[in-house]
Amino acid sequence: MIERPSSDSGYSRPDESAGVMVCDPPDVADERSVELFLHAVLPEEPLVKIRPGNSLTKIEFGELWAHRELLYFMMWRDLKVRYRQTILGASWVILQPLLLTLVFAIFLGKLVKVPSDGVPYPIFAYAGLLLWMFLSNAVLSSSYSLVVNAHIITKVYFSRLLIPGAAVGVRLLDLIIASLILVALMFYYGVTLTWSILMLPVFVIQITALALGVGIWTSALNVRYRDVGTMLPILLQLWMFVSPIIYPSSIVPERWRSLYFLNPLAGTVEGFRASLLGLPFDWRSIVISTAITLALLVCSIYAFRRMEESFADDV
Amino acid sequence: MMKPIMRVENLGKKYSLGAREVIAPTLREALVRFVKNTAERFSRGRDTDAQTVWALSGVTFEVYPGEVVGVIGRNGAGKSTLLKILSRITKPTMGLADLYGRTGSLLEVGTGFHPDLTGRENIHLNGAILGMKREEISRKFDEIVAFAEVDRFLDTPVKRYSTGMYLRLAFAVAAHLDPEILLLDEVLTVGDALFQKKCFAKMKEVGREGKTVLFVSHNTASVQHLCGRALYLRNGVLSEEGKPDAVIASYLKDLSESESAGLAC
Repeated sequence: MIERPSSDSGYSRPDESAGVMVCDPPDVADERSVELFLHAVLPEEPLVKIRPGNSLTKIEFGELWAHRELLYFMMWRDLKVRYRQTILGASWVILQPLLLTLVFAIFLGKLVKVPSDGVPYPIFAYAGLLLWMFLSNAVLSSSYSLVVNAHIITKVYFSRLLIPGAAVGVRLLDLIIASLILVALMFYYGVTLTWSILMLPVFVIQITALALGVGIWTSALNVRYRDVGTMLPILLQLWMFVSPIIYPSSIVPERWRSLYFLNPLAGTVEGFRASLLGLPFDWRSIVISTAITLALLVCSIYAFRRMEESFADDV
Repeated sequence: MMKPIMRVENLGKKYSLGAREVIAPTLREALVRFVKNTAERFSRGRDTDAQTVWALSGVTFEVYPGEVVGVIGRNGAGKSTLLKILSRITKPTMGLADLYGRTGSLLEVGTGFHPDLTGRENIHLNGAILGMKREEISRKFDEIVAFAEVDRFLDTPVKRYSTGMYLRLAFAVAAHLDPEILLLDEVLTVGDALFQKKCFAKMKEVGREGKTVLFVSHNTASVQHLCGRALYLRNGVLSEEGKPDAVIASYLKDLSESESAGLAC
């Protein structure tokens, strides 16, 4: 049986008469300990301060940096484990967007004749699906990451942000591998590169930030409310159709555009495709999507840190 | 005046009984409950905490550099809660704890071991999870393998290991952790008698190196053997502190008393 503390002040001191020696130093007569005390130089300030409640709402970038090797190891583990006992191994990374592109190219490109801003539809769709597969996989796997790693969360402390972070990181590697097909497609269709390509990393960073923003938030929510995991696949599917993945945003009527581009993914995908295929940039939508993405990321890290302290008790 | 390396003051942790009842299982529930609770709070003024339990309360003690301190107590006495708070896995509800050194905690043998990864891979992964640097793991790799006696199976997935091999490997990684403060939860009870002996020797060595160790155990023999001081937790409260012999004696006395009380029922 466990009892509540007896005193009314909310806490009780251990019974002094029970032989408790709170400040009693260890046996200094022991030669070894004397030597140790002379040598032990303790810092003035504690390295770790443990306090109840929410004293650490600030993001500990220092701690994240100190744990960067762990981030690497977690990504490495996820990669290793994912392709254990598969026949096709890493080629799944390429097959996924490739098969989708094939289907969309036949049905939407050839049959429905969806416009594609003057570039061949397969390459148009592949570029979009590449980003989409990254975002959707990254969000899904990071949203489950804390739950899946529950056994570690309840046994070791490290910056919890690393866990959804590693999940997104692994998918970023997938994105890079799957881009090889994109290069091949561009060769095949004879797409010439322009200076716009220099903007490409910006959009990759932006979509990574977006994946982190959504993934970090859903991962924390999923610890307490497993509904999130169930809800997410359908929400993601909806998100894909309201984004210019398999169709260009130019088919959206002018007066709906400003609403349409409030979806941060819209500006990012259009920007990515424009820099890749040398199309004109729509700077307004790029600025809007960047701002929304950053705001989302900040809010989601804040929300994560607020929920973080109870992960070990809830998961 | 000598300074403690670990200072724990009035530490307490409150858990909600039947977490599922207090934390809503679904979002819809949470919303419904939020409305209901707010309404109730208005009508009753304050929410009661009849649904909570203090796993730990008002625990105060200090540990000095180089000490090996054992924490004993029955199941549910708050030993693991104490270690979880000190290793920052969970937050206390009240009180404070200050640690003046790099802390490594070992609450379980083989944390983060992945069954599909090989022994070699798991050494690296587990080391990183426990807080070792990559370079440190590589440096100690041979030592770890030799200690675990698994060199022939290094490239076999650990899911094919026998339980003994698995535990030996896991303990070996952990034993090569090099923090200033080591928090240990009942990890010495792995492997066969011979390996246990080796573990004990290793633990003694850790103590000799001047590391501070807080060691939680049911096993009074190992506390007696390894620790210079013992804490006895009873029902979440620190009920006795002092020389292991004396503390263990009163722990055993309590045990036999409750046993005879249980038999009388």
